[in-house]
Amino acid sequence: MRKLNPKVEEWLLNPPPGSKAAAAKEFGVDLTLLIGTLRMTPTERLKELQVSMESLAEFSKQARIWREKNRDKN
Amino acid sequence: MIKIELAIETLVKNKVEFVIVGDIAITAHGSAYITKDLDFCYSRNKANLKNIVSALAPFKPRPRGFPENLPYIFDETTLRNATNFTFETEIGDVDLLGEVAGIGVFSEVKEFSTLMELFGFEARVLSIEGLILAKRAAGRPKDLLVLPELEAMQESLLKEQDAG
Repeated sequence: MRKLNPKVEEWLLNPPPGSKAAAAKEFGVDLTLLIGTLRMTPTERLKELQVSMESLAEFSKQARIWREKNRDKN
Repeated sequence: MIKIELAIETLVKNKVEFVIVGDIAITAHGSAYITKDLDFCYSRNKANLKNIVSALAPFKPRPRGFPENLPYIFDETTLRNATNFTFETEIGDVDLLGEVAGIGVFSEVKEFSTLMELFGFEARVLSIEGLILAKRAAGRPKDLLVLPELEAMQESLLKEQDAG
């Protein structure tokens, strides 16, 4: 875990109007999530991505199995 | 699904000259974006093509969507005959790019890269500035969607540098 400067964290939590962060928030980017990932090292971020990929793959697999099992019921 | 650590390890250990671009680069910089493949820009010099073959051949690369019943030879000649490749391998999908839209060929992409420690290896990753240029040039809806977050990340990086 790396340390994110508290001023940057505060600035992302309350982005000033006209800033790129404010525009991202307005666009729908969850800046609290961004703060969480910016606190990580690049390796930690990629490890988390790998876990997310594996979870999504497993979820897709289970959904496919469920659809095949229930195909005849619908 | 790409095995990120293994892919980076084999490229670094085989002395491949490469820059990670695309969504894994975006994640390495801090986005919570999820992707499935590894895109990297590579030097097209003869020695590097040989190193790429050494790095990836053990994982049996084949073009994605290539008929399963047809043989495919992955060697230096194959890499010399085209610039961009989309491979499926035993460690996941890997895209090799000889050039990146909005930036250029490997030497130019390298100028826009930053060295990062990834899984204990030093690897080059396209900078946030480079990613913004590439995504703007690619211009597809999925590329444009990540721009606001990238711009916020670039701004926060500058703030962090200013704050010391």
